[in-house]
Amino acid sequence: MLVTIRQLEVKYGSQTALRIDTPVSFEKGERIGIIGSNGAGKSTLIKALLGLIPYRGRVITNLKPEQMAVHMQFNEYVTTMSVKYIMETILDTKIAKNKELQELISFFEFESCLPKRFNALSGGQKQKFTIIMVMFQKAELTFYDEVTSGLDFETRQRLTEKLSQWYRDKEDTLVVVSHYYEELEQLASKLLILDKGRVIAFGEKQRLFRKYCGKVVLIMENNDKNRALSRNFPTLKSPEHLIALSCEDEAQEWKAMKALAENNVNFKRSNSDIEIMFMNARERFYAQQKVSSER
Amino acid sequence: MKKCSLSMVLYELRNINGNLMPHFFGIVFPNLMCLLIAQTVGSEMTEEMRREAVTSIMLTMTLVIPMAIMLIGYGALYALEIEKGIPLRMRLYGFGEKCEVPAKIAAHFILMTAALLIFGGFQAVVMKVQKPSAFALICLVVSLYLIGGIFLVIAHALANILKKFSLTFGVVMCLYFCMMILTGMMGMRTEQLPMALQKVARALPMTYVSNDFIDFWQSGSYNFMPFVQSFIFMGAIAGILLFLSGIRDG
Ligand SMILES: Nc1ncnc2c1ncn2[C@@H]1O[C@H](COP(=O)(O)OP(=O)(O)O)[C@@H](O)[C@H]1O
Ligand SMILES: [Mg+2]
Repeated sequence: MLVTIRQLEVKYGSQTALRIDTPVSFEKGERIGIIGSNGAGKSTLIKALLGLIPYRGRVITNLKPEQMAVHMQFNEYVTTMSVKYIMETILDTKIAKNKELQELISFFEFESCLPKRFNALSGGQKQKFTIIMVMFQKAELTFYDEVTSGLDFETRQRLTEKLSQWYRDKEDTLVVVSHYYEELEQLASKLLILDKGRVIAFGEKQRLFRKYCGKVVLIMENNDKNRALSRNFPTLKSPEHLIALSCEDEAQEWKAMKALAENNVNFKRSNSDIEIMFMNARERFYAQQKVSSER
Repeated sequence: MKKCSLSMVLYELRNINGNLMPHFFGIVFPNLMCLLIAQTVGSEMTEEMRREAVTSIMLTMTLVIPMAIMLIGYGALYALEIEKGIPLRMRLYGFGEKCEVPAKIAAHFILMTAALLIFGGFQAVVMKVQKPSAFALICLVVSLYLIGGIFLVIAHALANILKKFSLTFGVVMCLYFCMMILTGMMGMRTEQLPMALQKVARALPMTYVSNDFIDFWQSGSYNFMPFVQSFIFMGAIAGILLFLSGIRDG
């Protein structure tokens, strides 16, 4: 066990930004994705774990702050010198003499950026700069807080691909905060879902899907014909423009697919859609809260 | 947490050199001012009187160096970094305040030393100021480093309290000009100020360097008591500010 959060509460003034009541554990080698809307408390959780903000509760870990590396949501550096010198100072090495660092730099195609100052880098290059330094630290636990937010679609995809490629055969323990479902598909094996400072769900990606969506979901366009058709099947909460049918087992799945095929409906089958899982987990969490508060 | 190392000091030196404002205010400006003001010294004077006047100007202008480099230079640089969250980012890489701040301080003292050497050389060779007694020279150098140190503490504390570059820069610039006026650097002698302002001026060590050091520059005695008291006063102000900035940070 690398980190166990027994109980945790962070307040800003009178506002509770984060409250964790049921234990959450990160094990060595795990890839944990943290998902939640803006203000859900994702960055707050990371800051608390790093000891940057005061919290009440109990976090059990043998890790010291220097054994954790973090790509924060906002990373700034001085703009008075080229990023090469910043990198060499922070990593306490010379790039010309360090094969490992050279490899990392060329993996991220960062060579041409080295002579530039930080303010002259593009959004994606800025992120890469921090990523390279965070990776080079080879920490026991590494946090990535919204690495790709604010980047254009293509840059985002390329960066996610690079990250997932780099960590593919490695044992690093990662905690990745992201708003992008595809990114979590690639980088995370476990998910921690936060909303308004509360833990909605935590667990293995597949297990959570199974719990909130069933075995498989069939996703189709939200139109009159499909809506009429879907009345005969259990549906899930889904994005406005889509309808999602939930199938608990193979028999249900065949039945639903047959109906869709017979009616010439285009659909997507998924057993891992994080977005729909996230929406339904949140829905169920608040429904249960309502029930328990009415009691 | 990492320790302050030579590479960190080099990094901070590069950091200072990346922005030439302290170099202008701390090196170019005082030398240029000496040159310009010396032009106004009457030509009907004897050579000896002229040299004394130039020396007096030099003593006043040398005070610009610790003020520009420590108060304005350090204050602006550190406030900008705080505003951007750079000290936190560095801390997360293992470079805590105990590593970064000493490196910053060392780098600023190195720049100040370079500025003083350039200024001294310029005054000796070009301006031909009076040759000081060893005692007077040591007094001047020690005073300048002490003043620099106190201003550095004030700048550090102000940046930590105000947290914003624009605010900090405004405040240190304001302090800078007020002190220039009070201590006779704007051409007005301290005795010409209103009584209340004279009292304030007498609480600042710069006033004594600017007005009195010429009296024992080559020989003579001097009552150091008020001067030492002014150091204690300004040091106490710096200490209080530093304490307040510590409270604010929790
Ligand atoms: N320094 C702060 N002072 C006051 N409130 C804060 C501070 N930082 C975050 N918050 C509040 O705490 C909540 C959680 O913030 P955060 O963890 O940054 O969310 P996110 O999930 O988007 O990372 C938000 O409502 C935010 O407004
Ligand atoms: Mg955040």
